[in-house]
Amino acid sequence: MGTSITSWENVSAYFTFADNPLALMLFSLGVAGIVVGLIRFIMKHEAEAFDNHK
Amino acid sequence: MATETPTLESLQASLDAQQAIFNMHQAMNVEVFYWWCTAIMVMIHAGFLAYEMGASRSKNALAAGVKNILALAVIIPTFYLFGWWIYNAFPGGLMPVEASSALPWSQSMGPDVQDMGTGIFWAAFALFGATTGSIMSGAVIERIRVSAFLILTVILGSGVWILAGAWGWHPDGWMLTEMGYHDVGASGVVHAIAGFFTLGVLINLGPRVGKFINGVPQQIRAHNLPMTLIGLMMIIFGFFGFLGGCIIFNGGDTGWTTIYNNPTNLSAFAFNTLMGFAGGVIGCYIATRDPFWTMSGGLVGIISIAAGLDLYDPGLAFIIATCVSFIAVGAAKLLEKKGIDDAVGAVAVHGVTGVVAVILVGVFAGGTPNVGGNPAISLYGQTVCAIVMAVLGFVPGYAVSYLLKKFNMLRVPENVEVLGLDEVEILAHPYPETVPAKSGTTTNVGDLEAKGA
Repeated sequence: MGTSITSWENVSAYFTFADNPLALMLFSLGVAGIVVGLIRFIMKHEAEAFDNHK
Repeated sequence: MATETPTLESLQASLDAQQAIFNMHQAMNVEVFYWWCTAIMVMIHAGFLAYEMGASRSKNALAAGVKNILALAVIIPTFYLFGWWIYNAFPGGLMPVEASSALPWSQSMGPDVQDMGTGIFWAAFALFGATTGSIMSGAVIERIRVSAFLILTVILGSGVWILAGAWGWHPDGWMLTEMGYHDVGASGVVHAIAGFFTLGVLINLGPRVGKFINGVPQQIRAHNLPMTLIGLMMIIFGFFGFLGGCIIFNGGDTGWTTIYNNPTNLSAFAFNTLMGFAGGVIGCYIATRDPFWTMSGGLVGIISIAAGLDLYDPGLAFIIATCVSFIAVGAAKLLEKKGIDDAVGAVAVHGVTGVVAVILVGVFAGGTPNVGGNPAISLYGQTVCAIVMAVLGFVPGYAVSYLLKKFNMLRVPENVEVLGLDEVEILAHPYPETVPAKSGTTTNVGDLEAKGA
């Protein structure tokens, strides 16, 4: 469903959703969300770990 | 068997077909070259991993390693999100120019049959960025919060260094077009930036518990110095990928050029990389006779000549590397005297050496012309740009770490630092219980097993 081509003739960018900038922006937001989520996750882990060793 | 007589048209068609094959193979060669440069650069991170874990005390060994691995994992996606765009959008200073093709939702930022360059250059630059993060990583071991470190490493590895890259490496970068800046091996844009960013962080982070007693610096011993030395040698190996990634493999009949489009070749890089390495090792050995610094000397040596890697006489490169080693060692001692606890000497090895390296190109290669109507290399231009690099690195490192400190997000609590980060955060132990991790203990596993331990 995500393919951006129907034939390999004269093809250029051929990755999934290449013809759908909105989808690509959403994926970019997803990437950013995972990185921010990781840092938030580590902050939470640190707070709990430090509390457990007071 | 009858053969057709070739016509002018058929010969032309055959020539065109051969040319198309040649062009395709040349484009593939370019890809292959940078692919392997990137792969070799991964060794820099393997080296930093070993080096940092070895430099930590055993109670912090895994925490140091995890921090380093995560740095790589956050710089790659953030460099995809905005790092590559910064490089393409800011060559003129702080006002962006149109560079929408470098945004992550552009068709250029993904698999494309017609584009055999963007991905491979993006990858090489992402690994340069990861190198800056790893440079900081070693200096701050044993007391920084991983969360704070990751915030700082994203800012450095996907933001600050690549802004410096846009200014000092981009063909339209203002440092080149206005000052004739020359820094082919990234002494300034990578090493000076990372080193001075690290200095800004270290000022706010403060020293490890026990590093200074009544103001007198104490030696905190690495728990595994041999692993640290091997790690440093792995970084040197990775440098060949890093420096290979700094040369431009052109299509057509141009051949190799520097990132500034001046003619050069890998032979020039080979002469001076090895001579710089050797000079640095010798200089640091004479200056310290310390194993850690002797091996770090290899880094100092290469960084000291990297800015002028394409221009130096190999003998001069060797002498520069030897002499700059004394400056780096002196800078490390001075920083320690000033109360800065840089666990691996990153500020001196990368920051101070990087700045000196940029200036020395002006001293020894001043007057060398640039192509494309850009000003010639000059001592004035190199000195101004070296100062800009140091400031551009230091200010964001200091400012962001200051804010993190104000919100109590920068450093682990003192009791956690004393207990050890592995015990508190990692929930794993670096060595089996039969291997005493205490420094100076020489009992081996066989002895313990024989005793029924």
